[in-house]
Amino acid sequence: MSMTHIALTVNGSPVAGTVEPRTNLADFLRETHNLTGTHIGCEHGVCGACTLLIDGVPARSCITYAAACEGAAITTVEGLDNDEVATELRAAFTREHALQCGYCTPGMLASARDVVLRMDDPSEYDVRVAMSGNLCRCTGYVGIIRATMSVLQARRARGIGPLNGAGRE
Amino acid sequence: MKGEAKAQGIGASVLRREDDRLLRGRGQFVGDIKLAGLKDVAFVRSPLAHARVHAVHVPEAERGRRIFAAADLDGVKPIVAITALAGFKVSEQPVLAVDKVRQVGELMAMCVADTRAQAEDLAAMVELDLEELPAVHDMVQALEPGAPLLHEHWGDNVFLESAMDVNIEAAFDAPVKITRTVRTARQSMAPMEGRGTVAVWDNRMEQLVLYTGSQMPHIVRNGIAECLGLQQRQVRVISPDVGGGFGYKGILLPEDVCLAWLAMRCGHPVRWLEDRREALTASANCREHYYNITAYADRDGRLRGIDCTAIVDSGAYSSYPFSACLEAAQVVSILPGPYDFPSYRCKTWSAATNKCPILPYRGVARTGVCYTMELMIDAIAREVGMEPYEVRLKNLVQPEQMPFDNITRKHFDSGDYPEALRRAMAAIDLPAIRARQQRGEPDGRLIGVGHSIYCEQAAHGTSVYAGWGIPMVPGHEQATVRVTPDGGLEIRVGVHSHGQGMETTLAQVANEILGIPVDRIKVVHGDTEYTPYSTGSWGSRCAVMAGGAVATASREIAKLVKGIGSHLLQAGGGDVDLVDGKVVTATGSVTIEEVAHTWYRRPQDLPAGIDPRGLETTIGFKPVRDSGTFSYAAHAVVVAVDPEAGDIELLNYVIVEDGGKLINPMVVDGQVYGGLAQGIGTALYEEMNYDSSGQPLASTLADYMLPGPTEVPAPAIDHMETLSPYTEFGVKGIGEGGAIAPPAAIGNAVNDALRPLGAELYQSPMTPRRVLEAIRAARQRAASPTVAEGA
Repeated sequence: MSMTHIALTVNGSPVAGTVEPRTNLADFLRETHNLTGTHIGCEHGVCGACTLLIDGVPARSCITYAAACEGAAITTVEGLDNDEVATELRAAFTREHALQCGYCTPGMLASARDVVLRMDDPSEYDVRVAMSGNLCRCTGYVGIIRATMSVLQARRARGIGPLNGAGRE
Repeated sequence: MKGEAKAQGIGASVLRREDDRLLRGRGQFVGDIKLAGLKDVAFVRSPLAHARVHAVHVPEAERGRRIFAAADLDGVKPIVAITALAGFKVSEQPVLAVDKVRQVGELMAMCVADTRAQAEDLAAMVELDLEELPAVHDMVQALEPGAPLLHEHWGDNVFLESAMDVNIEAAFDAPVKITRTVRTARQSMAPMEGRGTVAVWDNRMEQLVLYTGSQMPHIVRNGIAECLGLQQRQVRVISPDVGGGFGYKGILLPEDVCLAWLAMRCGHPVRWLEDRREALTASANCREHYYNITAYADRDGRLRGIDCTAIVDSGAYSSYPFSACLEAAQVVSILPGPYDFPSYRCKTWSAATNKCPILPYRGVARTGVCYTMELMIDAIAREVGMEPYEVRLKNLVQPEQMPFDNITRKHFDSGDYPEALRRAMAAIDLPAIRARQQRGEPDGRLIGVGHSIYCEQAAHGTSVYAGWGIPMVPGHEQATVRVTPDGGLEIRVGVHSHGQGMETTLAQVANEILGIPVDRIKVVHGDTEYTPYSTGSWGSRCAVMAGGAVATASREIAKLVKGIGSHLLQAGGGDVDLVDGKVVTATGSVTIEEVAHTWYRRPQDLPAGIDPRGLETTIGFKPVRDSGTFSYAAHAVVVAVDPEAGDIELLNYVIVEDGGKLINPMVVDGQVYGGLAQGIGTALYEEMNYDSSGQPLASTLADYMLPGPTEVPAPAIDHMETLSPYTEFGVKGIGEGGAIAPPAAIGNAVNDALRPLGAELYQSPMTPRRVLEAIRAARQRAASPTVAEGA
């Protein structure tokens, strides 16, 4: 099978390699770079477990070909260790019991971070709609929604507004 | 008072110790395990539901090198899961198909390559010569005379018939007699992580090491040893972080056996990771029930009897270890639910069909049973002109009857069921809903209110499972507890935690007794090498059984700590207390750290007669009675049904739950929330359909619909804490309950909403199509009243 050479940035570090055209981004990161925090749940873009950031925007890594990521900046959950919003979300997820088995969690964090950055003053239902691309089988979403809402509201209360141009348009 | 330490013991909502690694993507799931030389496996699977296998053509250059068929698997026994129940028929599930395939997805050849994609390329090179046979795609069809036979030598398609009759004739003169047919859909448990296995042979240890996402590593070890003819010392099963179970990971899969066999021969580690299509269609489903049920009652709503026949679609093979029959046989014993009535007859069949095997899913048979029984209670209420809750209150087991043996000899340990129902009715505000129904909705939707109540037998043990006689019977649950040289604690348990938070809650149990801070306690689980034998995590048993074992072992440790502490305090082995992690007398104290330091590092300071067990013990636990704890809950829900579109919206949801003493209320609420979400999936969305040739019709999560954030409301939860008289701290198992009652409560609410139209639904999931069909059928009945009801 023909191979494609790609060069991209992963969690701030330059990465180069050759991939088969059929290799998806999740497999590339997990198998080639041992970034196993990106979890694969369905491999057809429905469950959201593999959600990560491509150029700062949440995306499904299971239906993104690695070969299509030439020049892209990828951020996986491992790259969010020192991210301000992710740090607040991690504390809120623990406090609100927003994870049980933890398998959907990295994808949830990627989407929740986007909600916190992007949405101004959403209702709980708005947040539920915004998070509806991520499935969780354990928590009934109660803690996830509470945690996301609480971080968003705390930031707005501290005068931190939504970031123009952040995340999904 | 235990001061600050008390805040971490029983009853404290301690934040979970497992969260940080999972929130940073540093958990270790099976798919994350990297071993040098690891190769990937893909399987060739049967495309047909029922076929004779004439040949599996493997390219000669690959046969026995990178592609393996049944003939290559020398010395591998089929998977056999028997029961001791009279009349049970045995199925043999070959790990690779031999002369016949009985389900779509059945394994036919194993392919190994550097990557999964390359292994799938190999799989595409295998040609199958199959002669298609008529398929049994429906459990009712399976029992009809002349149906195609899955296992020809049986003579029919029945794994097992189960029956009970308690004086049913006495009910026949009841003035109210209502008959309904109820069906529940086949489902997939669908944890977010699928199954997966990594296998490697360890030459130094002379041991097969099998990493597999399992709720029951010790039972998988039994099964692997049996199928491959290995000694137990030669098999180590490790279940690392597991991305959800719900029953789906309580099975020995043919894939496990295949990979174990391959790892022993190929000289490198091998890996198979189930993809979503395999998970949905091939490995195991659950919960497809058919009931024909008649309820007998008096005009005042008093139940006189229940007469029922039921079928459970058990798929093609008996799964290891739970068998094909647990579900249907349980229907007989649990159908009466929390009700006390005098006459009962029930007969069930475990039907073999050309579908994948079934496994017990969260709530096991209870979800279908609760749906059926509770819809019937509401039908009685409509017939006699009472509110459904009034009919329930008339028939529920009363608190003064506790402990209570019901008509099927189930032993209810404790509880106040009417109180749970009353609280739920108060919280949902029934009069306000009735008034709202009178007013009508501006958008034309129909409002309905429904409720349901159930009991959940949990942590049932030897006395129950000895009768089933399946490949595992739980006995004493053991825990190993030891103080470390620095005064911390290690707990080793054979159950597995995959979301339940036991790395935190079992530490809380030890903290309650020993006062050692939770962050100094390590809970080790998921490795047969390091943990005592256990049947694992299933049946809402871990808080009761593993919690009980940790409590029992911790008390032994307390004695040992006090023995050494007494010596250090020169109390001569006499009266000392253990308080806040310190051994104390009236005049002094010594910390557990000092006790540990003395035992491990300064044994010269110990007297000659010191207990040689030191600071470590393994001990087993059984409740005073092992027939199970009975937790229960009342659910109440308000729905809005759109009679034009068939759409159902949940407007308010209330749960009043009694799980006995709660070890960690936050974790318990999480179990209830998650169970509710799954119950809503069962009620409204999830359905694994097959066509008439046995082809599964839902093979992606776009076809098999799981509820998302906009489909699941945040319920109000109210806890009653009626202690079990038989367990440590009065704990009851509650892991499954949240998933049991929602289809019944929602179903009753939908039927309440549709009542003005004369429509009723008796089939889950209650999809828009089924709602509209029910409305259409009601309109047709109204137009031509001679058409029989219930068509």
